[in-house]
Amino acid sequence: MNSDNVAEVEELPTAMSDEPNGALQEALEVLSTLQATIKKQVLGRDDVIELAIIALIADGHILLEDFPGSGKTTLAKALGEAIDNGFSNDESIVPFRRIQFTPDLLPSDVTGVPVFDSNSNAFHFRHGPLFAHVVLADEINRTSPKVQSAMLEAMGEKQVTVDNVTYALDDLFFVIATQNPLDLVGTYPLPTPQLDRFLFKITMNHIDRESELDVLDTYKERRELTGQLQTVTRDQVLRARKNIDAEIAISPAIKTALVDISRNLREDDRVLQGNSTRSMVLLLPALQVSAALRGRDYVSAEDIELLLLRVLGHRIELAPGVSNIEKVLLDNMRTPMDQLAKGTIT
Amino acid sequence: MGFKSVHDSSYWFYRSIFPGCLFSCYAVDLYLHKNPLNTLRTSTGIGLCVFIWFIALLISSFSVNSALVANIFSPINAFNISEFIKWFGISASITFSLRTLSHRARYGAVVEILFVASAFVINLAAHRNGMIHRPFFIGDFALTRGIDPSSILMAFGCAAVLSLSALLMMENNQKRLPYHFTVLGLLCFSLLIYVRLFGLPTPQLTDGIGLTGQAQNGNSGQRDNPFRDGENENNDKEAPVAVVVFRDDYEPLNGSYYFRESAYSQFDGAMLNYTTRDDMDRDLIKHFTNSRAETDLLPGAGDERKLVRTTIGMLVPHRNPFGLESPIAYENKANPSNLRFKRTYDAYSLAPEYDFEYLIGQETGRDEWTDELLQEYLSIPDDNRYQALAEQLIGNLRPEYIDDPFAKAWAIKSYLDENGIYSLKNQHAYEPDPAASFLFGDLTGYCMHFSFAATYLFRSIGIPTRVGIGYSVPAANRAGGSALLVQAIHGHAWPEVYFKDIGWVIIDPAPQQTLVDMTTDPQNDLQQLLGDMLRDDASFEDFLESQQTSFIQLETLLNILYAIVALALLVAYLIKAYRLWIPSFARNESQYRLCYRAMLDRLSAVGLYRNFGESREKFAERVNTTIPSLKPMTNTHLSLALGGNVPNIAQQQKWNELDRAVRKEVSASTVTWRKVIAFFNPFSWLLTK
Repeated sequence: MNSDNVAEVEELPTAMSDEPNGALQEALEVLSTLQATIKKQVLGRDDVIELAIIALIADGHILLEDFPGSGKTTLAKALGEAIDNGFSNDESIVPFRRIQFTPDLLPSDVTGVPVFDSNSNAFHFRHGPLFAHVVLADEINRTSPKVQSAMLEAMGEKQVTVDNVTYALDDLFFVIATQNPLDLVGTYPLPTPQLDRFLFKITMNHIDRESELDVLDTYKERRELTGQLQTVTRDQVLRARKNIDAEIAISPAIKTALVDISRNLREDDRVLQGNSTRSMVLLLPALQVSAALRGRDYVSAEDIELLLLRVLGHRIELAPGVSNIEKVLLDNMRTPMDQLAKGTIT
Repeated sequence: MGFKSVHDSSYWFYRSIFPGCLFSCYAVDLYLHKNPLNTLRTSTGIGLCVFIWFIALLISSFSVNSALVANIFSPINAFNISEFIKWFGISASITFSLRTLSHRARYGAVVEILFVASAFVINLAAHRNGMIHRPFFIGDFALTRGIDPSSILMAFGCAAVLSLSALLMMENNQKRLPYHFTVLGLLCFSLLIYVRLFGLPTPQLTDGIGLTGQAQNGNSGQRDNPFRDGENENNDKEAPVAVVVFRDDYEPLNGSYYFRESAYSQFDGAMLNYTTRDDMDRDLIKHFTNSRAETDLLPGAGDERKLVRTTIGMLVPHRNPFGLESPIAYENKANPSNLRFKRTYDAYSLAPEYDFEYLIGQETGRDEWTDELLQEYLSIPDDNRYQALAEQLIGNLRPEYIDDPFAKAWAIKSYLDENGIYSLKNQHAYEPDPAASFLFGDLTGYCMHFSFAATYLFRSIGIPTRVGIGYSVPAANRAGGSALLVQAIHGHAWPEVYFKDIGWVIIDPAPQQTLVDMTTDPQNDLQQLLGDMLRDDASFEDFLESQQTSFIQLETLLNILYAIVALALLVAYLIKAYRLWIPSFARNESQYRLCYRAMLDRLSAVGLYRNFGESREKFAERVNTTIPSLKPMTNTHLSLALGGNVPNIAQQQKWNELDRAVRKEVSASTVTWRKVIAFFNPFSWLLTK
């Protein structure tokens, strides 16, 4: 087999897809711009960047389990800065906010508070840090359940309610929450139903040696990069969200596989409580984005394999004594995935 | 756990050995991990077992020997108690140590299973060496139901291999269980095929006289020194060699059936050997025939002989056919059981009915013999002592017999009878003339020595003699039936004298002193069984069939099995061909599916197939090094299968290009033998998933 031949066939996947579709093309451009911009600022975390972008486009939120100083803020900030707010007419929405959660934090500290304006002689709502495109909720398990629930309402409903008045958040509202997996003294661990609000829970490991060296080498340059990088607008992101949803096909076989996996999990003795139907609903757009990121216009088994552990990992309660969620998941995936593959030739 | 009782009955097996094993198994499995057994060290545990063993033996011997116990219970109860304690103790201690070992040590399970296996094998080993009716519990079971016992044993063996390996694998928690089972099953199956094609292994036995032609030191062209055979271990002496079915009534006068196979008649300068001359030993038939072979020369004294037809089934291959003395014709006969008999033939013999008195006054030699030929039958080693001794021995004959050849021969035979000592161990084997060493030495030897010595003595006084070799079976072994079992121990050599108008007459020295216990179990059951198998009127197959009324015919079953296999192959090939050809005729929208499937079939045939649960992309990635074009092909296929796209003409073309590329890559990356297998394997498509 000569090399020309290889080159020729390598181009095929895109060539075989539909005729260059304008809408989808634009969405793909948004994705690649985001990816490129963030990758320049966050090194050695390509997988997390990808997941963050998937969650952003799929309208989900992510929970990072990580150690302090591992680049969570950098990631969240890079993501926020990659979204340009230039044409937005709503001054109250900013690209990026960070909230450091502490036990004495109050709900109004995150949502905002009505302030009495003596000039107009009326209460005036001062927007809290939630009114942003990208919110980094640092150490979300350190704050009281009251704040957590306010936070989670915002995540679920895209709105905050203060003094019985509901304020809508922006359509592009993306939360990156973090929690420290080890230092659990004085924390309020998020219960499983609340974890259900997060699309992905990502456990990050330390980056590899070369990337770490790279981080130290390019520290200064990357700080200066801010402002020079290519950005996308909020509207572009929202449009990409809509286009990907419309253009990326989800075969019934994929949905069958997802349902079968869920059912298998619920019947597994090692699983105390299986995943919700909602998790599967949330998963679909994520699968579409994942497919788009790989240049496909259809969702494939690859996407399920990539995302399922991230999506179901924190939604499943294992029986006492069982700890390896990955193994449980793989065991239950095997048959439906095999059926899925088999289905393509029968 | 099986445990073989060295006692004759299985009585104690069920009453004490089995409970002993059970008890230990329960004790170890339930309590080894609990206090106080878990504090026990393995070596201590095994030491304890040995101790228990001795204690059990002590108690048992005490209960037999002490008058007290015998008084309290009755003596028979005392014996029963002693046996119970003994076997319980032994079985429990062995089981305990083995179980403990298998719990504690890595090799323990292996030791345990080896022990069980050997107990099993020892039980079945009784079947060896042609004792096909043993062990009785299998032989009886099989034969009354019309099944060849060897198939039961084979099934036993296969089942044993499979179950033992299953045990081994379970103990070690092996994961690739089904795979191993497949391999083992194939091994067992190949064993069955081997037996079906090549028959059962021939009994190994000590070939005393070179009758079977199973050369022991490899160079079969040359005769081995027959005097060295006594060195062989004689533990296979009961092995069956052949079975003879008498078709006519005949009872030998001298108490033994003689079956002549061949003769040493020509003196080759060192000792007697097979003749190289055509005009000697014309009464012998030196080859097997496919039709009928007759001797050139009939023995005389026809009215003193009886024509006897015998059917002979050889269980081990022989150099020459043999027949009841004196065989005149051999006729090949259909083998009733190819598995069992190496060769079956009818032998026609003119069996002597004269007594020795008839021989008195008869002359020796044959009129047609030239002087030179007569000299061949008279030549002996250059040793004057033979003649001296012979003349000394016939010196005491009464005057009326002084010139009678038979009387002279009888006098010499009597000398050997009275003075010779039969022994399988002798010191003459390496002498230049073992016969002389024997005769003028300690007179201790076996049939070969006696027959050679007698022959030389006879010849020295002008009596034409040769050494006949074959089998000599005591008449009592026949036990009234028509079948006679020839066993390895019956291999024999004897001197025979040619009397004018009578033929070769056996004058066999029978030493009165013997150092060897030559009595054997005549194996009457086996004799009868093999006789039944050989007999025409109720051949073994008929016998089996007669027993099989309630079963489906084995043959029919086999035929059905073959038909099913053939049908399965045919269907598999048809499906394979269909799946490879159908893409050419498929409609446009289903072609991506059928074409891809055909491609996967091709890959499966050369051993590349998707694992269970693996996605198509991962599989394509896995084989990417050898089949790089599969990846774009898979992507295209998936975009059509999962993306709901409809292929157009341009894509069709691309698709065909990819198809060709993959085929080329498969062909390039596959070695030829693999391609051949891929082509002929009817089930390769089953791997496609």
